[in-house]
Amino acid sequence: MAIPETQVPETPVLTENEELGLINADYTERYGFHDAENYLYKAPKGLSRELVEKISEFKSEPQWMREFRLKALDHFLARPQPTWGSPLLAEVDYDNIHYFVRASERAERSWDDVPDDVKKTFDRLGIPEAERKFLSGVGAQYESEVVYHQVHEDLEKQGVIFMDMDSGLREHEDLVRKYFATVIPPNDNKLAALNSAVWSGGSFVYVPEGVHVEMPLQAYFRINTENMGQFERTLIIAEPGSYVHYVEGCTAPTYSSNSLHSAVVELIAQPGARIRYTTVQNWSTNVYNLVTKRAVAYADATVEWVDCNLGSKLTMKYPSIYLLGERAHGEVLSIAFAGKGQHQDAGAKIIHAAPNTTSNIFAKSISKDGGRGSYRGLLEVAKGAHGAKSKVVCDALLLDERSRSDTYPTIRIGEDDVDVGHEATVSKVGDDQLFYLMSHGIPEEEASKLIVNGFIEPITKELPMEYAVEMNRLIELQMEGSIG
Amino acid sequence: MILRRNPINPLGLRKQLPQVIEICPVEQLKPGEMRLVEWEDLEIGVFNCAGTVYAIEDRCSHDNGTLVEGELDQDSCTIECPRHGSRFDLKTGNPLTLPAYVPVDTFDVIIEDDKIKLEVE
Repeated sequence: MAIPETQVPETPVLTENEELGLINADYTERYGFHDAENYLYKAPKGLSRELVEKISEFKSEPQWMREFRLKALDHFLARPQPTWGSPLLAEVDYDNIHYFVRASERAERSWDDVPDDVKKTFDRLGIPEAERKFLSGVGAQYESEVVYHQVHEDLEKQGVIFMDMDSGLREHEDLVRKYFATVIPPNDNKLAALNSAVWSGGSFVYVPEGVHVEMPLQAYFRINTENMGQFERTLIIAEPGSYVHYVEGCTAPTYSSNSLHSAVVELIAQPGARIRYTTVQNWSTNVYNLVTKRAVAYADATVEWVDCNLGSKLTMKYPSIYLLGERAHGEVLSIAFAGKGQHQDAGAKIIHAAPNTTSNIFAKSISKDGGRGSYRGLLEVAKGAHGAKSKVVCDALLLDERSRSDTYPTIRIGEDDVDVGHEATVSKVGDDQLFYLMSHGIPEEEASKLIVNGFIEPITKELPMEYAVEMNRLIELQMEGSIG
Repeated sequence: MILRRNPINPLGLRKQLPQVIEICPVEQLKPGEMRLVEWEDLEIGVFNCAGTVYAIEDRCSHDNGTLVEGELDQDSCTIECPRHGSRFDLKTGNPLTLPAYVPVDTFDVIIEDDKIKLEVE
């Protein structure tokens, strides 16, 4: 097969100064490039029963999964489009989406076997390099399917499973059938139903009892086609006393028309297990990012969502944790950055369903150039969950008069003996703060960046170092030109 | 089809606990069928799951939706809430999938004289 030509030049080797210059380039240059399309299969736009059956057939799925998909499609079609959240949601055109695009035969275990044009994209995004340096395993999804997957041999020997969800279903059907859609059933909401009908790719992670995966597992999701829909499905099961940190990142080319990303992520932390799930969402600003993420934590288990939303046109995402066992702990750290034309409707949900459970939600949003950041959260303490403790803090930073911040907290308490706190602040980068820094010789733009970095620091310090650096670079990139 | 019945209180007494109420002849609830029974302030779903009759509170503990309009799976003996998809075990009332996490009440079923009866409190 001839190697197709990409529309972008190869990544040159850069000096440090040149690299710093690149940081300040715009998104289109850094992430917004796209490759020529050389696909094995690209479904025509639109959703139909035939397409759902075809996806299932392509993947040679068992009958129960095919029936699951078709039932989910019925749920999707029967449910109205939600009217809450954002007015932008009404613009999603489900008929103008490619629901399935296959770029490669299978998920390869060597970068050398990945099709050249796709590999070049991931090289440019720095994924193979990151794998070599600091990861336990990597999955790379291009359009609908995972094109590369690898996990360290020593983890495999300990029984850790980290593979794409399609392979997970093929190779570990019993495990998948036992847990799949138990945390987020297809009829949970319209978008979860859509994902359940057309899901493709995503990660399947299984960590056996007592195994600690010391370095993070990472998945990288890339959309290339215009009007693409990406519907990955991720299921992470951490057996008792185990630990895993899963990190995901995502980017897409900048197009004038819209794409849709609608994932479903289910986490199951068995007694005493700990799962940390970090997202650095940096879709281009033509992507609707409508995602359902939910976790269960049994006795003494901990689940942490670290959720950074920088990109997309509209994000609606509220990672949730059901604390089902005594002394379980849940934590959501969320940063949202809303620039021109963006609405980040992010938040968190924590349900205390057992005694002596604890949780924290720290949410921060930054809005500039007319962007809108919303915090939408739920904190629920069920009857009988005595001794529950929770703290919710949401802070918003407005960088100009045109931007907007909203907070929609819901708190339901069904028990007397609880300790629940909620704090919300909205502030703007004040002239006095800027004046103070500028009086120490710091230029205005630099001063503004410093204030923003200080604002998000409590969350970026929770990221692995490599991601914290990337996060700060991305924020700097977003901040370019915000003064004057 | 869901048959709605008036509250049955054969003894004409209130608040005598527990109490046995008659639902219907066995042949009127075939395998795979279910019906709603209202008694005082209770709404009870009665299900024939592959020949065995079960009764649970007809209220999804997630957002109070009715369960008897959901899908009965006779293999797993579960009912799926039509609103958000939580599946309840008909034998125990336990939710097997989120978003519901609180069990619903179950009721003892008595088959006597070819009639389905429930023990309620």
